[in-house]
Amino acid sequence: MTAIIRFDEVTKEFGLGQLQTFRHAAVQLAQRMRGVKIPKPQPFCALREVDLAIEAGEVVGIIGQNGAGKSTLLKLLANISQPTRGRITVQGRIAPLIEVGAGLVQDLTGRENIYVNGVILGMRKREIDRRLDEIVSFAELEQFIDTPIKRYSSGMQIRLGFSIATCVESEILIVDEVLAVGDLAFQRKCFDRMEDLIKRQNRTVLIVSHNVRQIERLCDRAILLERGQVVKDGEPTDVCAAFYDRSNEKIKSEAVRLGQRALTVTDDLVFQKVELFDDQDRPADRVAFLKPCRIRLKFEARHRLRGIAFMIGIHTTDFVYVTSNNTMDRPIDIPPGTKTIDLRLDAMRLLPGAYSFRIWIGTPEGRASYDAENLCTFQVTSSGGVRGRQQFGVVHLDGSFDLHADEPAKAPLDPRIAALDARADAQSQFHR
Amino acid sequence: MISLIRHAANHRELIATLAWKNIIVRYKQAYLGVAWSVLKPVMFMLIFMMMRSFVGIDSGPVPYPLLTFAALAPWILFQESASEGIHSVVSNALLIKKIYFPREVFPLTAVVTKLVEFGINCMILAVMMAWYHVVPTWQILWVPALVLYALLASLAISLAGSALNVYYRDIAAAMPVALSLMMYVSPIIYPLELVKTKLLVQHAAGAWSGLLFDLYTLNPLAGIIDGFQRAVLKGLSPDWDVIAHGLLVTTIVLPFSYAYFKKAEAYFADVI
Repeated sequence: MTAIIRFDEVTKEFGLGQLQTFRHAAVQLAQRMRGVKIPKPQPFCALREVDLAIEAGEVVGIIGQNGAGKSTLLKLLANISQPTRGRITVQGRIAPLIEVGAGLVQDLTGRENIYVNGVILGMRKREIDRRLDEIVSFAELEQFIDTPIKRYSSGMQIRLGFSIATCVESEILIVDEVLAVGDLAFQRKCFDRMEDLIKRQNRTVLIVSHNVRQIERLCDRAILLERGQVVKDGEPTDVCAAFYDRSNEKIKSEAVRLGQRALTVTDDLVFQKVELFDDQDRPADRVAFLKPCRIRLKFEARHRLRGIAFMIGIHTTDFVYVTSNNTMDRPIDIPPGTKTIDLRLDAMRLLPGAYSFRIWIGTPEGRASYDAENLCTFQVTSSGGVRGRQQFGVVHLDGSFDLHADEPAKAPLDPRIAALDARADAQSQFHR
Repeated sequence: MISLIRHAANHRELIATLAWKNIIVRYKQAYLGVAWSVLKPVMFMLIFMMMRSFVGIDSGPVPYPLLTFAALAPWILFQESASEGIHSVVSNALLIKKIYFPREVFPLTAVVTKLVEFGINCMILAVMMAWYHVVPTWQILWVPALVLYALLASLAISLAGSALNVYYRDIAAAMPVALSLMMYVSPIIYPLELVKTKLLVQHAAGAWSGLLFDLYTLNPLAGIIDGFQRAVLKGLSPDWDVIAHGLLVTTIVLPFSYAYFKKAEAYFADVI
């Protein structure tokens, strides 16, 4: 196969700072004539000697932190800006979905906008005539298509933009953070449409997203950019894991800087800290996958608290709540003074990645004395080969396959095993 | 230069659609709608007529309102397409940062947009000619060529101007001043005949008269406006002595202007 997109040592630099005014330039010229050396402003290097070859039909996800050069890469690819050095070869038509709704004109009606935007994106007028109904019905705007789009809600505008852009027939599709548009139902539709474009129409697709899960799901290759360089290129799962590892440090330091996100704070109690202990019972910020660990909560009650329950939840760094162990069923009274609570987990069943705690203290009826999230960011590390066993998702469920279920069962379930399970369950409860 | 024509041909649908969009957007929420594009030359014409009533400008055998309107139509085509062209790149910054197509589409679109308004003004002119019983001869066939010349002259300014404007917004600020000055050195308020008799017949500036006239006709608009008036109103072919200088200037400047535009184009998205 030949590469449909090829980057040869592509470097892109930007001049930093402002355009100089005439006065500034005149002053500098005068200084230079007097022999004063003025340092040239150092250019900012957005991409540094990037080599890349993408083959036809590949779906490539590009991930990296802010400022890693992702959007610059797409802009160079779409011919919007030119590389400072190096060469880019592209074979085929490119449909840029760089920002959905770029070029929608507020004063025009939906129908007029379909024509204007379609032509801007490189469609022929006849092509648009043919697909007009499809575009309108996908955007679910049949009723409003002859209304100026300045009367549309923002969701409607984005739907229209997405619908037009995905109708462009091209060999290469560039997608920059557009999948999170509209309400949930429409997001679902967009996602299906993307999958359809990718899987069935066999287009070459480049996706830039901060939503690493999306990349993991949609792509068959991922590229990790860091400070303008490709640091990892390969299987999405591996690359995404590398990205998580790298992000972790940043997320941790940022979590410390931003501190907890307190949702409810009352003067019932002063929250002191939440700590994580690994399987050796040492304080840690990382625990191994499937190994036991302990979470310790410390606070000081200002006065006697009655009927208090605890919740220790875990959420991902993008605030997907995964677990919430709690004692709602057995509230206790707490005398004034320092109080420590432990939650023991017999095995860390969250898949490797970065997570944070959400702590809630209050009455089971719902009155919160304390509620905060983004506490004590920690990382679950893989303990070898885990990722090969389970690629997708957030949690690991214990289970076993019966690969011969069509044959009669050899023995009924041993009642002793059931008893063991119950004990394991009890262990993960709160220890006061 | 050939590539300019090729791009224009390849993207004719895009240019046509964008021009259509410009026109629609401009008049969509305006009560008077397209009447605005007519109002401008008509107002100017009325002001000039009033002025003439105390200054006294000899318009020869052609009625003055007709003469000045026939000057205003091509002038406004040139002036507006040049000034709109200069703004066209910066005002489409959003598109430039997001989507690629050859950037000369923007100045070209500005020109095409103004062509539509010019068409409307020509209809007004036709009505006025009927009113004054002026019948055009077959010399009117010169008009398309003259219009094309006017468009090329405005592109010569707007291609380089719009590219420069990306880097230095001073250009857009200076443009209205320059264009309004240009209006006075073009035969709009007064006919070219007056300049001719003053300089070439009466030698008003002595030995410098011939040179001054050559200088005056370096302005492409002198030839365009005079040619337009001759072809439409007087049944004469354009005067080559008047047109030649301006045409030469345009054919020299336009390729440079376009070359600069193409060179600057690569960095539009970074700088804009």
